[in-house]
Amino acid sequence: MRFVLKTRYQQDINLFLHNGQRFWYALLALSVLAAPWFLDRFFLGELSLVFIYAIAGIGLMLLVGYTGLVSLGHAAFLAIGAYTHTWCLQRGVPLPLSILFAGLLSAVAGIMIGRPTLRMTGIYLAIATLAFAIVVEQLIAHWESVTGGYRGIVVPKPELFGYSLSGSWPFYYLCLACVTGCLFLALNLLRSPTGRALAAIRDSEISAQSMGINLANAKSTAFAISAAFTGVAGALFAHKLGYLSPDAFTLLTSIQLLLMVVVGGLGSLHGVFFGAIFIVLLPQLLAISRDLLPAAVAQLPGLEPGVFGLILVLVLIYEPLGMYGRWLKIRQYFSEFPLYRKSTHKRQKSYLRTERVR
Amino acid sequence: MEVLQLLISGISQGCVYGLIAMGFVLIYKATEMVNFAQGDMMMLGAYLAYTWINIAGMPFVLGVVATIVSLAIVGVLIERILLRPMIGEPPFAVLMITIGLGFMLRAFAGAVWGTETKAVSNPFSGNVIRLGDISIGYENMAIILGTVILCALLFAFFRFTRLGIAMQAASQNQLAAYYVGIPVKRIYSLVWAMSAALAAVAGVLVAPISLVEPVMGFIGVKAFAAAIVGGFGSLPGAIIGGLIVGIAEQFAGLYLPPGFADTTAYAILLIMLFLRPEGLFATMQKKKV
Amino acid sequence: MSEALLSTHSLSLSFGGVRAVDDVSFEVMPGEVFSIIGPNGAGKTSLFNLISRLYDADSGDIVFDGQKISDIPAHRIAELGIARTFQNTELFEHETVLRNMLIGRHVHSRTNLFSELLFLPSVARQELAFRQVVEDVIDLLDLQSYRDQVIGSLPYGVRKMVEVARALCIQPKLLLLDEPSSGLNPEETEDVSHWIEDVSQDYGATVIMVEHDMSLVARASSRVMAVADGAVVAIGAPQDIQNHPEVRRAYLGD
Repeated sequence: MRFVLKTRYQQDINLFLHNGQRFWYALLALSVLAAPWFLDRFFLGELSLVFIYAIAGIGLMLLVGYTGLVSLGHAAFLAIGAYTHTWCLQRGVPLPLSILFAGLLSAVAGIMIGRPTLRMTGIYLAIATLAFAIVVEQLIAHWESVTGGYRGIVVPKPELFGYSLSGSWPFYYLCLACVTGCLFLALNLLRSPTGRALAAIRDSEISAQSMGINLANAKSTAFAISAAFTGVAGALFAHKLGYLSPDAFTLLTSIQLLLMVVVGGLGSLHGVFFGAIFIVLLPQLLAISRDLLPAAVAQLPGLEPGVFGLILVLVLIYEPLGMYGRWLKIRQYFSEFPLYRKSTHKRQKSYLRTERVR
Repeated sequence: MEVLQLLISGISQGCVYGLIAMGFVLIYKATEMVNFAQGDMMMLGAYLAYTWINIAGMPFVLGVVATIVSLAIVGVLIERILLRPMIGEPPFAVLMITIGLGFMLRAFAGAVWGTETKAVSNPFSGNVIRLGDISIGYENMAIILGTVILCALLFAFFRFTRLGIAMQAASQNQLAAYYVGIPVKRIYSLVWAMSAALAAVAGVLVAPISLVEPVMGFIGVKAFAAAIVGGFGSLPGAIIGGLIVGIAEQFAGLYLPPGFADTTAYAILLIMLFLRPEGLFATMQKKKV
Repeated sequence: MSEALLSTHSLSLSFGGVRAVDDVSFEVMPGEVFSIIGPNGAGKTSLFNLISRLYDADSGDIVFDGQKISDIPAHRIAELGIARTFQNTELFEHETVLRNMLIGRHVHSRTNLFSELLFLPSVARQELAFRQVVEDVIDLLDLQSYRDQVIGSLPYGVRKMVEVARALCIQPKLLLLDEPSSGLNPEETEDVSHWIEDVSQDYGATVIMVEHDMSLVARASSRVMAVADGAVVAIGAPQDIQNHPEVRRAYLGD
């Protein structure tokens, strides 16, 4: 355990708590920057995908993990981002501007769905977002003049100031730049009054209200920011796919995004990255295990979603704080060795507290 | 006449939504959990019916009873294994568990019964009643009649039996119910058994008019619309909501361009949530401090 | 006599057939420590919820600082200068004590979303200024050792204090305390009367509290209002109320 004695208020609002942290994150940044020199094309592509998922994950985490609003429809924002971006590129809008538009339009859509659902909590919101995502999916399928319907549309290759970014190196750096930017914005938000207001809403709406937080505005803000990040991720995702059709943005995609933040660890940005790595690795691991398993099991239809479901259930029952929570426990185990007690993190039994009043 | 014909198919489709929605409501009322896998439970019910009737060769009625019993057991197992550890956890976590469960059930069905569609033998298919210009299939009649009977049974259960009343008590205040000696945990198992039984009946009834395949449970999402319209806490509301959605869908198919009929249920859901989220038969209010 | 800080006029509220608050009128003067007592279910907390606008009154007015507040939204109450605590504490469980208290500064935030996303110097300055206020309150209530702990890990007594601290961070003109001593041991209850005195003197805040512990009420408050079945039984000095025959009847029955 490292104890930081704070002597100035400034230490509280710095991004890094102490020099040790600074060192490790710098090392991480360096290795990520240098990755193209020691990773081959395939892994570089996978790492770009991790970053793309992480951007969407940051957005979803702000909503689910920090504001406590559940969305089962984030694939819709991903889709809106992807299609907006493609539409803009087709009309010659420069790449950075186009990504920005993708984020903005998603944010507008986020407010549109967020605003009327403000009075709802929990399941109602989940169901509303789910329905919203299905409606968006249908719209994409039927609005053929813009989206190409089920035939799909080709995404123009990414270009910046005349240079092509479609190679694995440049695209990797594009994704890295975007994820760094989004992470920076999210970290700033969380150490500002608005970020605290979101957390307050998550923990107690009633007292947040009494503390002067305008629930409607704060929740709309959360939805807008969350959707904007996811829209940006959608723009990059479009390049990754190369070809857009409604099948890429189904309920399964939404659940996958949610799985990412849950498995990674709700309420932490570290968790987003753990979750993104997990979600990208899982299909690869499954592909490998298919070769090892007996043919009858390996060829099972729907194996992947089934494994998704299983993992989701196991994590929620046994490690509700996700991979980041497990990581913290392991770290604590070593720093307190041999004094660590398993019961430190034992969950307290509690009864259902009703939210209904007669 | 076409209108009347549509009305009748709307009603029978609505009854299916209503049956699934009642499953949602039952579990929600008692435990404040939402079972996203209710549609998949229905799918499992249809497959079990196929197993008992077509593979094991049971007569129809016996097969239906076997389906109900076996799915009820599955319901209890699910409650014991997956949901008992989650009592007192945030509703969101429970919701995610049931989503995961839905994925698992679909994968399970695909693994056991394969992905090609199945048909359950039944005494209804092919027979038709004619009333003037309208014709009603036996299978549609069976759905409507089955729903009416189930509703009556459920009403009687909650109104007149000790157990039904205890269940209502448990749903209103878990801790208080526990203190007055109601075995809350056992009641939870029972609720899951009941909603699984409902799903089984829905599965059996829907099998003749729909294809039995792993993804048939997706109509559960449409049943959400029914439950929301009904207010999510009300059993009769669920049926009425189901009917509204079912009928609206039929007419949307007639009057709107193709492709939009499928969206009707979700549109109703969203409109309902925006205008009157508490549903037509509200039971929800604000939290107390 | 100066103008009342808070006054209610014929305030009524019913739930179904139950009259939780029945034609209640009272005035609280600036600088007072005003206690509300009464048996369980007398409508004390409902009264608080009406003042903090969580409930809408069926009829009657609430006037605070010369402004009618009975029709403004709940989230604007704090910025007018009314802060409250809750009977069973409603803290932000997953956040640290410090961050809980910083939320109390929310109404004083002057930065917009975009400057916050970029954490411009103006936001940083404001954060530092917020921390100064928060630290003063931490010193007043002796919460130094809990500053960076998460609420979920704290004992109940400390949580109650944190809730008061959070309310003080608003720098309110009026502080509503809902049973500050419930769930505390006698020693902690003893402390409550001390810090109430500090709060009303150092912060110049007017205090209204709902309280069951009569010795605390007698020690801390300047005036007491007794309510029963939603209606006012008597208002007066603590010792008068304790000996008031109607009040005794309300508590002990006939």
